[in-house]
Amino acid sequence: MTAVITVQDLTKRFGSERALDGVDFEVGRGDIFGLLGPSGSGKTTTMKILTGEVEISGGTAEVLGFTDRDFGRSAYVKQLGILSDNSSLYDRLTVKDNLELFRKLYGAGRHRIQEVLEHVGLTEQRDKKVSLLSKGMKQRILICKAILHRPEVLFLDEPTSALDPVTTERIHDMLLTIKGQGTTIMLTTHNMAEATVLCDHVAFLSNGRILDQGRPDNLRHSYKNNKIHVTYRTGIIKSYERSEVNKNILETALFDSNVIDIRSDYPSLGEVFKKVTGRELV
Amino acid sequence: MNAGRIMTIFEKDFKEFTRNMMLFTSILLPVLIAFMYGSMGDSQQIPSMLIFLIVGIAFSSILTSGIMTMMAEENEKNTLRGLVQSPASMMDILVGKSLVVTLMTAVSLAVSFLIMDMDMSWGAMDITGIILLGLFFLNSGIGVGLTVKSVATTSVYLLPIMLIFGFTPMIEIIIQDETHIIRQAADYLPLYQNMAIYDGEALVPMLILSLWVVLSFVYAAWSFKARMKDA
Repeated sequence: MTAVITVQDLTKRFGSERALDGVDFEVGRGDIFGLLGPSGSGKTTTMKILTGEVEISGGTAEVLGFTDRDFGRSAYVKQLGILSDNSSLYDRLTVKDNLELFRKLYGAGRHRIQEVLEHVGLTEQRDKKVSLLSKGMKQRILICKAILHRPEVLFLDEPTSALDPVTTERIHDMLLTIKGQGTTIMLTTHNMAEATVLCDHVAFLSNGRILDQGRPDNLRHSYKNNKIHVTYRTGIIKSYERSEVNKNILETALFDSNVIDIRSDYPSLGEVFKKVTGRELV
Repeated sequence: MNAGRIMTIFEKDFKEFTRNMMLFTSILLPVLIAFMYGSMGDSQQIPSMLIFLIVGIAFSSILTSGIMTMMAEENEKNTLRGLVQSPASMMDILVGKSLVVTLMTAVSLAVSFLIMDMDMSWGAMDITGIILLGLFFLNSGIGVGLTVKSVATTSVYLLPIMLIFGFTPMIEIIIQDETHIIRQAADYLPLYQNMAIYDGEALVPMLILSLWVVLSFVYAAWSFKARMKDA
């Protein structure tokens, strides 16, 4: 794996409060990396450090060969697309005016506005004032703004938070297409379903520390319970240790008309998170 | 600084300024006052107090208020962060915005002077004085604009700036006793230095005016530094 982002022993203190405590992770080129954790776990602080908004207190961070001392410099920010938790648009201006501003600042080609609007299915809104758009449309325009200059790395802080399921799915499709074009994406989320759909690699952050990380499937596999659950029409669920399930039990269950479900205990990413951190994702 | 990026910010802010009714109508204030006083008599006899009252109103209500409001609005709506995270530097952003308010102030003043049919044969010292005065008002607006977090808060700062620095000549109407301490203190305010330069003095008023510009610049630079330093 060629690492595009390397974070080692990252620490951030705000006064006496330790927001990040020895965080380590790597993000490979072209991967979608998800930093997962509840509110206040340190996700946004990590993101802000990597985008040059906040200085580090200890450890090192490197993105695209730039060290944390270079974060915030023009040559660095040109390589990034950023959607932060409080990104917004100029309400009085049209969609095109908003995108034109950033197209010119980044020196992107004229055709890019049309391209990104087609990409998110908003070409017809091009001459509409931003104030007239729905929240979901604004979020899609913000992502357009972030990818306008074809950034090497895209940082997304809670990209679908508080959006309806249809818009969320559209944004997921968009992000997978962007990833397909070779862009490395780092996102923060507390939506485990989102992480499962999008991420190649996730890290669980709780109280400023990474408690576990890996590919979502591997994490789910390593935290699975060795149990098989058989659900009966009456609502009764019988659980067996995998070791005690023999051919007899399985065959009986399979042909029993009162059995409506047989499944192994394969935890969701949310359940794994709870096991690892002892906290719910809220 | 990058000229292309400055012009990009200028274009964006010009559109924003003309679509923001609060800002756009501010350019009418000096024009209305000029219209009111325009028929007061022979244009050659317009008292310097009135000329500089209009200059003060234009500078405080457009230059200071405009840049202050634009910065505060960017802060309030979190759009400033997007600009700062782009290749545009903070100086590109400030210069681009300053050009918009300077242009609007110049247009408003030109229209006001036309209405008053004023003799505009100003000398180099007068023009230098006006430029210094403009810098003072611009720096003050930038300083406050970088400090406040919402548009609503700007009025707390704008009102004293307008009353003390913009409407300075009005003090002659309110306090007629020239020996009054407030009148004597007001003699050192920036607008009175321009009036003194207009009336033929040069060195001392220019020095005092330069001092005001330096002070306002220090304030703007301090605000700038505070704004750039995150956690």
